[in-house]
Amino acid sequence: MNFLDNIAAGLSLVGNLEAFAALFLGVLIGTIAGAIPGMSATMAVALTLPFTFSMEAITAILLLLGVYKGGIFGGSIPAILIKTPGTPASSATVLDGYPMAEKGQAGKALGMALWASCTADLISNLALILFAGWLASFALNFGPPEFFTLILFSLTIIAGVSGNSLLRGALSAMLGLLLATVGLDLVYGTNRFTFGDPNLMGGLNFIAVLIGLFAIPEVLSMVWEPKPHVGKTRSLGKNSVTFAEYRRCFKSIVRGSFIGVFLGSIPGIGAAPAAFLSYSEARRKSPVKENFGKGELEGVAASEAGNNGVAGATLIPLLALGIPGDVITAIIIGAFMVHGLQPGPMMFILNVDIIYGLFIGLIVSSVFLLMIGSVAIRGFKYVADIPRGVLFPGVLVLCIYGVFAVNNNIFDVGVMFVMGWVGFVMLRNDIPAAPFLIAFILGPLLENNFRQAMLMSGNSPDILFRGPITWFFWALTLLTMVAIVRAGIRATKDLKKKNI
Amino acid sequence: MQSIHRQTVIGLAALLVSAIIILIVIPTWVSSPSNVRNIVLSPVFWPYILSGMTVLIGLGLVVTGFYSSENLTHEPNDIPGGYRRLALMGAIMVITMFALPRLGMVWTSMLIFVATAALIRSSHPKTALICAVLVPLALYAFFAHVASVAIPQGDYVRLP
Repeated sequence: MNFLDNIAAGLSLVGNLEAFAALFLGVLIGTIAGAIPGMSATMAVALTLPFTFSMEAITAILLLLGVYKGGIFGGSIPAILIKTPGTPASSATVLDGYPMAEKGQAGKALGMALWASCTADLISNLALILFAGWLASFALNFGPPEFFTLILFSLTIIAGVSGNSLLRGALSAMLGLLLATVGLDLVYGTNRFTFGDPNLMGGLNFIAVLIGLFAIPEVLSMVWEPKPHVGKTRSLGKNSVTFAEYRRCFKSIVRGSFIGVFLGSIPGIGAAPAAFLSYSEARRKSPVKENFGKGELEGVAASEAGNNGVAGATLIPLLALGIPGDVITAIIIGAFMVHGLQPGPMMFILNVDIIYGLFIGLIVSSVFLLMIGSVAIRGFKYVADIPRGVLFPGVLVLCIYGVFAVNNNIFDVGVMFVMGWVGFVMLRNDIPAAPFLIAFILGPLLENNFRQAMLMSGNSPDILFRGPITWFFWALTLLTMVAIVRAGIRATKDLKKKNI
Repeated sequence: MQSIHRQTVIGLAALLVSAIIILIVIPTWVSSPSNVRNIVLSPVFWPYILSGMTVLIGLGLVVTGFYSSENLTHEPNDIPGGYRRLALMGAIMVITMFALPRLGMVWTSMLIFVATAALIRSSHPKTALICAVLVPLALYAFFAHVASVAIPQGDYVRLP
């Protein structure tokens, strides 16, 4: 099938009211959830997932992608109006957004955030359409040894770049990999860590682990310290962004979008570093760099372009290789699996209509984001006023219903509670949860591909070095490890000096 | 300068957990068929490798912990009674597990909502009470009637 045939196949799948309504609803839910202080885009996607079980696969995934995109933008609203980033990715937006709000230019800052987000989102989606197919056709040559080395590389980078301490990130990933071994052995069918309980034979339910790790710790944190959100909501002011201002910032928006696309397509890096890098580049190139940090419109544009540029690009490794680029795409990979789809190169052959349907939906989502975003900016006051004492009990109840609905099994609710406490302990000790979840998803794939490779070669490890692709990934893994260890040694030396 | 840091404690905990897994849990709870010719294909291979890696990471955490400036204890909580509230929340979760099959999901959720709102000192008790009734009912309506999920009804009051 050629490109036009693929587009037609995708259009036949999503060219209906239900799919577009799901996308619209998703962007709306995401924007609202992202704008609520204390909620995050990750939590919003995780909590929406159980509602999609009864939907068609394409409708469900479009809804979740809508929540993802809306959530990333929504996070910028409280960042600008109350100096509280709704998502970690919006932290860079605070730097210039809030000073603008203090000067009575919140409307202008939010307008620029919206336009920059939509532009970056569009560029990111186009990058996804251009590169995912190409990468997938390349990945069709991959066998189990190549996939093993690729997943190993992804895990190294994910554990290394998440959080302040790389060792804690690595520990988190290791715990996720260990937890993924629970259940029946994939080759021999014998029990592993099932403790005689039949509920554990199928392994731990992904959604119970996910919601336990990302939603319950927030509820427990609220129980630990039940504080209402602080910060005064600034008024929007009368001024809005003009086309001349958008044109002035356009270069920074495009640069930020490409930074987002590049960093987003590497598994594990995520939106926050992209936003900060885009911001610092805009500042470096600006003739008025002294204005940055004091309420410069270009600063808002650059950081929002950076974090939204990531959104489409993280789907490149997801769709082409089956590797989640960040924690939200890890949840979306779960949605694919719930609906019987396995993302990866074979999906471009077996489910090309779904792939192109998603591409079309993503392009349309940028338009929906623009529409919903402009309304959400004005309606933020009502969202920010939702009392946390009502929000968090509601989240807890939603978690219980959502997790139960996966398998109609109360045992999963217990797994969620236990994982919630694990997540809370990790949160309190600055152990990042993202490597845990991503390793939990990639663990079975890593082990499967390793054992398949061993079976193919009659247990000879030489197969893991069989060609240029495996060598390439081994080299990347080695380079990443060296960089991570060097950074760790340098950080330890700095601390040593400081303590003397 | 304090003698022990959080990084060290995390490392020691990782070492302890991996030692328990290697010495007790894997030998007891991972079964491997006797006819497995090569260790790399054995069901115990992967858990042993991962536990071994956890030991290495734990050692790394212990070593780097000696140079850490991070305090073992957290900043004091602005609102006292955090541990008591957490213990109560744990109790709510345990009771939930027992109550779900007996009372049903809707009634249990209403009670959890009220208990959690009270625990986190909701400043809007009336709104919380109204939501405690409406949210579980709305979720029941969606999951039972739209998504066709068999929501547990319990032994006492059944919903349509």
